[in-house]
Amino acid sequence: MKKIELFEPAMCCSTGVCGPSVDPALLMITSAFDALQGVTTVEADRYNLSNNPDVFSERADILAAIKDDADAVLPITVVDGQIVKTGAYPTIDELSDYTGLVFVPAEQTGGCCGGDGGCC
Amino acid sequence: MQDYQPQKANLTHYLFFTGKGGVGKTTTASATAINLADAGNQVMLVSTDPASNLQDVFNTALTNKPQAIKGVPGLFAANFDPVTAAGEYRESVVGPYRGVLPAAAIKNIEEQLSGSCTVEIAAFNEFANFLTDPTVDQRFDYIIFDTAPTGHALRMLQLPSAWNNYLAENERGASCLGQLAGMGDKKAIYAKAVATLSNGDLTTLMLVTRPQKAALLEAARAAQELAAIGMTNQQLIINGTLKTPTDHASQAIFAQQQADLQQMPAVLKKFTQYEVPLRAYNVTGLNKLHLVLQATQPALATYPPLTNNYPNLDTIVADLIKTDKKIIFTMGKGGVGKTTVAVQITQKLVAQHKTVHLATTDPADHLDFFKTADPAVTISHIDEQQVLKDYQAEVLATARQTMKAADVDYVAEDLRSPCTQEIAVFRAFANIVAQNDSDVVVIDTAPTGHTLLLLDSTQSYAQEVKRTAGDVPQAIIDLLPRLQDPQQTEIVMVTLPETTPVYESMRLNEDLNRAQIAHTWWLVNQSMLATQTTHPCLQARAQNEVEWIEKVKDVSANHFAVEQWQPDFEQTLLTI
Repeated sequence: MKKIELFEPAMCCSTGVCGPSVDPALLMITSAFDALQGVTTVEADRYNLSNNPDVFSERADILAAIKDDADAVLPITVVDGQIVKTGAYPTIDELSDYTGLVFVPAEQTGGCCGGDGGCC
Repeated sequence: MQDYQPQKANLTHYLFFTGKGGVGKTTTASATAINLADAGNQVMLVSTDPASNLQDVFNTALTNKPQAIKGVPGLFAANFDPVTAAGEYRESVVGPYRGVLPAAAIKNIEEQLSGSCTVEIAAFNEFANFLTDPTVDQRFDYIIFDTAPTGHALRMLQLPSAWNNYLAENERGASCLGQLAGMGDKKAIYAKAVATLSNGDLTTLMLVTRPQKAALLEAARAAQELAAIGMTNQQLIINGTLKTPTDHASQAIFAQQQADLQQMPAVLKKFTQYEVPLRAYNVTGLNKLHLVLQATQPALATYPPLTNNYPNLDTIVADLIKTDKKIIFTMGKGGVGKTTVAVQITQKLVAQHKTVHLATTDPADHLDFFKTADPAVTISHIDEQQVLKDYQAEVLATARQTMKAADVDYVAEDLRSPCTQEIAVFRAFANIVAQNDSDVVVIDTAPTGHTLLLLDSTQSYAQEVKRTAGDVPQAIIDLLPRLQDPQQTEIVMVTLPETTPVYESMRLNEDLNRAQIAHTWWLVNQSMLATQTTHPCLQARAQNEVEWIEKVKDVSANHFAVEQWQPDFEQTLLTI
């Protein structure tokens, strides 16, 4: 099973709607990770600094990565224990690469389907 | 009408003193607390106003923990300060991770937990915990809350219901609450808080008002809105009624008070009513607090008439025009006349051929009373319900571009969190400051406490904007730099020639200095001295004013003016 983990900066909430601006990339990530919860072949977890500092503190790789400049390095994407991206959220294509799933835009199907996992 | 005597007033275990700014909430709440303690009760007095004056009244430094008041056995007092509550919450989150997580990560968490959302929830949790704490309940006979002016207090008292409902309807685990770990566990506390507030055998709402129309209307509004959440046990205290008029000034005040009381809103008439007559002295310190509710008052001394050689508001406006200011705020304690001063500045600017956008950030919206047909003036206010709807609609529209329906619901749920209100109001504030439809924007602010929180948000968002990836509105990016630019901005500090308003303004002055926000001028408003009254009680008050006017003169380095008390100012300026 694939394991994808997202380590995010401190946030008020997972959609970011209580900050000074709303980040469309964050909305996309929220949507995608929500969809991944229904997929049996991928384990997908999000951790942010303010809600899950315990998880950060237990991970030597993450601690090393954020040691000098947490603001620039977060968010960090980890796939099967390997850091694959830092400083920005993964794009939808990158998520497909990591998970082997195809994400279909909402307007077309009302869901994210396809790929070998067959989510939704 | 009977005089207010706490022992005879049939008071309940919990008492909430509320009302418009400047009506005497702190004075009546403190005098009540002392009176009950003198009778042998254990009494807890808590201020929930972010700009509390309890420490001035008791001449004692206070914290958010109950502290015994020297000289009054049985009396304890505390100030619940939202920024302190947020600080304590922040420390409880990051404290265990200092030395475990890198310093940069700690800083990242601290910055996130400095937003208005955290401040509001932390403050509110402190209040809800205290209200429902069984130890507090058993320890004290009376627990008295001295609240912030109406707009802010209504929000605080309505929040237990709002969060309670939000948690009940929330299907996805309340992601927006995540930042306050364990907030979901607080459901039982909120439910208990709602039950306590709405139990008339336990809780009384003490509506404090002046015998003046605007204050009476605001008391009526609070009465209705709080009855709607179940706080139906209410009493009315009318503070500062003038007796036996003798000269022109006192005659005018007497006539205005009687007329306004005659026309009291019907909703208030059904409550038990008490009065506290106008006193000749400032009610500060234990002696005066003991004295203020006594039937027998000290004899009045006679004074030689005072002369008034102070500059007036025209001096300030002339400088605003000379320096070509674009953004002018009126700030100060509740009840000092921020709205009427904003209106006067507007009219004086218009007389000098300026066009003016006059706006208020106060949820109580006293500007609503001001009507004008002058095309040079545009009026607006922050409608809290409307700005919330606008913000929700905007975010959902963005969400729909990238998300499927079920996930848009997820965002919609975060947006229903009572917290979202704060960010929506903040964005509306930034938009008002960014107005460019007129030569000058004049902004009438909410009472100090509320305004300080808005400025606090401005600073923390300025930090957050630097590291956000989202599309930040230009108005928000420009907000702090604009407020800090003395070329564009002036904050007129409005105060009264009395102890508490001057102390509150001096604290505001320090806060503005710290935030490097542009401000020069002080206006001492509603001066009795400037009316040249000979009425014994009013003259004694006028005599007391000298000390405070001189203090303002000193603190402001001579950038000050004095406006005389106008008994009919509400009618003249605001056409109430």
